[in-house]
Amino acid sequence: MQNPYIPYPVEVTKIITEVDTKDIKTFRLKFVNPEDEEKFKYLPGQFGELSIYGKGESPIGIASSPTQKGYIEFTVQKAGVVTSALHEMEEGTLMGVRGPMGNSWPIEFLEGKNIVIVGGGFAFTTLRSLINYMIHEDNRKRFGKITVIYGARNPGLLIYKDELLEWQKRDDLNINVTVDKGDATWKGREGFVPTVCKEVAPSAENAVTVICGPPIMIRFTLPVFFDLGFSKENIITSLEMRMKCGIGKCGRCNVGSKYVCKDGPVFSLAELDKLTKEY
Amino acid sequence: MEKRLIKKDALAGIARKMVEELTVWAPVKKEDNVIFAPLTKDAEPFFAYLNSKNAPKQVFFPHTETLIKYTRTPKGMVFSAEENKTDKAVLFGVRPCDAHSFVLLDMLFDQEKYKDQYYIDKRNNTTVITLACAEPPYATCFCTSVDGEPVSSDGADIVLTDIGNEYLAEFVTPKGEKLVKYFGEAKADAAAEIKKKEISEKAKKAISSKIPAHEVKPILDNNFEHPFWATIHGKCLACGTCTFMCPTCHCFDISDEAKGSDGVRIRSWDSCMFPLFTKETSGHNPRISQKERWRQRVMHKFKYYVDNFNAIACVGCGRCVMSCPVNIDIRKIIEDISKL
Repeated sequence: MQNPYIPYPVEVTKIITEVDTKDIKTFRLKFVNPEDEEKFKYLPGQFGELSIYGKGESPIGIASSPTQKGYIEFTVQKAGVVTSALHEMEEGTLMGVRGPMGNSWPIEFLEGKNIVIVGGGFAFTTLRSLINYMIHEDNRKRFGKITVIYGARNPGLLIYKDELLEWQKRDDLNINVTVDKGDATWKGREGFVPTVCKEVAPSAENAVTVICGPPIMIRFTLPVFFDLGFSKENIITSLEMRMKCGIGKCGRCNVGSKYVCKDGPVFSLAELDKLTKEY
Repeated sequence: MEKRLIKKDALAGIARKMVEELTVWAPVKKEDNVIFAPLTKDAEPFFAYLNSKNAPKQVFFPHTETLIKYTRTPKGMVFSAEENKTDKAVLFGVRPCDAHSFVLLDMLFDQEKYKDQYYIDKRNNTTVITLACAEPPYATCFCTSVDGEPVSSDGADIVLTDIGNEYLAEFVTPKGEKLVKYFGEAKADAAAEIKKKEISEKAKKAISSKIPAHEVKPILDNNFEHPFWATIHGKCLACGTCTFMCPTCHCFDISDEAKGSDGVRIRSWDSCMFPLFTKETSGHNPRISQKERWRQRVMHKFKYYVDNFNAIACVGCGRCVMSCPVNIDIRKIIEDISKL
């Protein structure tokens, strides 16, 4: 059996600076041993421990979709020791990744339903994974209408800009990109995510919303979805906690009896209601 | 089950004999304390002890342990080796409460999905010899409240019970039976077993400290926000002694130490009592004060572990009670919770 503490060796093959502030980058990682890609079989919503020897590890949501073969991607904000070291890296550097960890977005539960994706700022990463998974030609017919509402503070802070443009060209995806405040060149929508959700007003009929963003966004967006008639079982989100082992042993990421690393990070609002509010 | 009788004064000799072939962890005197340490050939094990200062969990889950090694290459630091050394070992003379802790730790480290091979390998390679408590060592012992007994085979491969002039040695697992050769040829008779039973009953009755450990579970289920939680931590120094002494505390940190071209990734004991334990890079901390940390410690042992593994994560050894520099007493806390 694989020792879960040993990272798979990966090579950084591509680094994309996502935002004007240059502190959010997407890292494309290729498995040094091709057979490891099969062992790292994941679903959207799972995460990995990025492992930089000499610095440590950092748990980051997987931003690529399992339908993208040959590599995995992580979008990382420069924040602490490990992520800062990562941001200094160049293409061609070797590092490690452990995982995949945690549960995933509830794919089976989402099947056959209309999906509303709501993302704010840099928390869009595992939602991007889910979107790319659902719109893949092998999967698209398994899901109903897909509505995406994604916002950032300003145009320069939107991540996956090229992909957003590609998605807008599709007719099987209703995508609404918004910024809190535009600039001289911004021709798109302006307004906070909760407001845009109210305007777009997706029907709650056979629908599930998957929401991920800063706490303040979630706080003001949830009432909008309650008003639209979404039940707590049909609102799904993902938690973050400080983590080390990622496999439910080191003891720090529990919310009540549940370990976010192993029992989460994905929970429905109904499930979260049963947990303590210690997160 | 194999059973043998051993002369009282033969015990140290058996341990010393094992040293020739095995790593023998045994109680030894060190300054004012008795601790578990690997026995050297001429060292004298000290079996007339009450309980060890340190919990013997360190044999399977060391204070600091190297997980992997890595080295520098022109393309960056890369993994170089898994570090998982385990010797055939004997843990000689642990108290039944501490042996019970191994059963509890197994539940966590040896789960179906994620196996912690570092722990499991040491556990598999080590034979646990329990030295039953014919008389409860301390007034703070409360093993009988948390599913333990002073004379118990829980977590043991071999159980030694002082039945007066001799020890009764019971080889309760196949792993224990493999060491029977060290224990001489004197088979135990029915009288020895009757005597053991008497001692066991007497010892159980002698545990006078009792806590409502099971009874508090439904109260903990419903009182996460109770004002009581603000009343425990006032004098807590956040020193973490209780967690480091505890035989069942298993929280750890993982960190990297690199020097020049090489480095190691290590894990070290960590503590839910420390402010940094849950502090995130953003500055956000879900357990913002010592109040939340104390609630976590109590909940983890008497609710969360029960929810997840159907077992209380406390063995009643009393080490945290005796070691706390400001006399916070988990027995009092559980007692108080039972009255909420």
